[in-house]
Amino acid sequence: MGKMKKLFRYENIGILFVFPAFLYMLIFVGYPIIRNIILSFQDVNAGNLVKGTKNFILFDNYMELFSDNVFRSSLSNTLRYTVLCLVFQFIIGFALALFFNRKFTLAKPIRGILLVPWMIPVTVTALMFKLLFATDIGVINYLLRSLHLIDTNVEWLTTPGTAMFALICANVWIGIPFNMILISTGLTTIPGELYESASIDGANKVQTFFRITLPLLKPTVESVLVLGFIYTFKVYDLVYVMTSGGPVNSTHMLSTYSYKLSFEMFKYSKGSAVANVLLLILLVVGMSYIKITTEGEEK
Amino acid sequence: MKKKKIVALLTALAVTIGLFAGCGAEKETEDASGTASNTSGESQPEESEPEVSEAEEASAGEAVTIWYYWETEGHQVALDQVIQDYNASQDKYEVTAKYVPFADFKKQLSIGASADELPDIAILDSPDHASYVDMGIFEDLTGKFDVGSYYEGAVNSCTVDGKLYGVPFGVNCLALYYNEDMLNDAGCKVPTTWDELKETAKALTTESVTGLALCSVQNEEGTFNFVPWLWSTGASSYDINNENGIRALAFIQDLVNEGVMSKECINWTQGDVMNQFIAGNVAMMENGPWQIPTMQAEAPELNWKVTLIPKDSEYSSVLGGENYAVINGGNVEGALDFLTYSTSEEQVKFMMDKFGYISANQSIAETQFEADSPYQPFVEELKYAMPRGPLAEWPSVSDAISLAFNQVITGTATPEDAAAEAQATIDSIVK
Repeated sequence: MGKMKKLFRYENIGILFVFPAFLYMLIFVGYPIIRNIILSFQDVNAGNLVKGTKNFILFDNYMELFSDNVFRSSLSNTLRYTVLCLVFQFIIGFALALFFNRKFTLAKPIRGILLVPWMIPVTVTALMFKLLFATDIGVINYLLRSLHLIDTNVEWLTTPGTAMFALICANVWIGIPFNMILISTGLTTIPGELYESASIDGANKVQTFFRITLPLLKPTVESVLVLGFIYTFKVYDLVYVMTSGGPVNSTHMLSTYSYKLSFEMFKYSKGSAVANVLLLILLVVGMSYIKITTEGEEK
Repeated sequence: MKKKKIVALLTALAVTIGLFAGCGAEKETEDASGTASNTSGESQPEESEPEVSEAEEASAGEAVTIWYYWETEGHQVALDQVIQDYNASQDKYEVTAKYVPFADFKKQLSIGASADELPDIAILDSPDHASYVDMGIFEDLTGKFDVGSYYEGAVNSCTVDGKLYGVPFGVNCLALYYNEDMLNDAGCKVPTTWDELKETAKALTTESVTGLALCSVQNEEGTFNFVPWLWSTGASSYDINNENGIRALAFIQDLVNEGVMSKECINWTQGDVMNQFIAGNVAMMENGPWQIPTMQAEAPELNWKVTLIPKDSEYSSVLGGENYAVINGGNVEGALDFLTYSTSEEQVKFMMDKFGYISANQSIAETQFEADSPYQPFVEELKYAMPRGPLAEWPSVSDAISLAFNQVITGTATPEDAAAEAQATIDSIVK
């Protein structure tokens, strides 16, 4: 009774307000995740999805995955793709943010227009890049040929190595505005007086960048990179439309391979095991993000 | 103080309930609008308000729902017409149809099966039939339909362990389309063997035209286009790592290496291949009869003909098409009643003509077209067409086959290695 009373103290009113959100998370996020984990420990295929017993085979699905070449390549593809995309998006986005931070005519409208790639639905972007990179009718091959850089058309999307390159190009194009706008916002939080006094002290451009801009942007940079990692790592639609994981499975990501196993080949348990690997990696990144941001706040 | 507490509690409660109310309401309107749009053709004007239509529908008859995946408008209109006529012909049942995109169709059926939210009838791609029978969601129809006059391959695709689990809707197969003007200009004859095909394709290939195209994407659609070449050598879907299987892979690789077939084919769906053909970028293509209505509408000037797929050792094609399946646990009576209606000769003829399909009923198919109709070669080709599977694990076998062909087309493996790898995968599936 005493405990009950304690729970209903006015100080605990916050719990009541959080409750709806908590319930929502429990039903729509918690339940599917737990079901998915259970599924990955079972042996569920077309034969026993509806009827029959679902045997628990514990880690067999995971063991099988790690000896599966396509899984291994999709894991390394996802990592390689994420890292390369992040590097280019971040550097180009940062440079553009610095550029548009200078107050010249039309700076704001142009920055606004540069956001367009971020607003276009990904499937549209994917189709656009699929056409740009087409071998015989693609604009990119046409340009390269006109500039006499190549003699024969490059088979961008039909050769394993270059298909990955094309995917990265498309995603960098989408990701630049996201990086630019977040870093721009970060830049506006740096007080102008700092730059003023630095210039009075005779600091040059490079010094102000490395001594003032970068250190003060640290929290922003951390968030941009972690959020960028999460957005890039779970890529699905772009790859599905541009290459569907081909040619010869060379551009499968964890997400597309999971979908293929589950819904094209009816290997539900194996597919959910792949999804869990994806979840685990994102969980680690997400946790470290929370750790970094709360540490920043405590200081 | 106490008052505040109560207010807070109530607020929290209200928010929580609002959350669920929100979900519920959304779902309801979604259902209602779905019904409204599907029955739009047949509903009377006074039924136009969604709330009313649901109630009236209940009084109109028991609901029977159909899922299908045809995106072509002509197909949808034709099916809708049959459904409307059926609904008007009796009061007991009210049939509605729902379009599910092909890419999502398997997923929706799987999810529906585990969530117990299935239609009463599904019209699905024939090679997947066995997998769903294995899942146990289809009603046994043995003895309920007379399929004696149907094509054997089509009936086999919905038969598992001697029991009939579906009724073939329509059949199709692949054949070779050729651009007659290009062939005449190059002074070529219509090819009938692989050697002739390669020579012809070489002669037809120019700066802007490639000789041959076939959909080579790495999924079921690609497998559909590859197996005629495989089977023509005498190899089977399950026995690839031998002289015959390797010869088929090597032939396709050769076409690509010689430049008479574009590597881009691995990103072209059958629709893309057809578009390249009518745009004049491709002189010959492997494709199905369902493209004919579109080709006639979009390129009426194009002079093309259809012939048998050239052979290695025997003529061969692949059987495609859809089957009706009745879901068990749903409105089985209503589903059977509608199927009896829709498989009657009159309805079949109507739909097949509108669809550009060939009837699965051989007796109807043989008199379906005029002798000079572009569809007639497909009826001829059907004699050589074999079904894929039926096998519950067919999707995995299919993946191994399409992967092997993709490997040789992209040059990432030799025909020998590709065949060995595919065989290893298939052996691990089919014990």
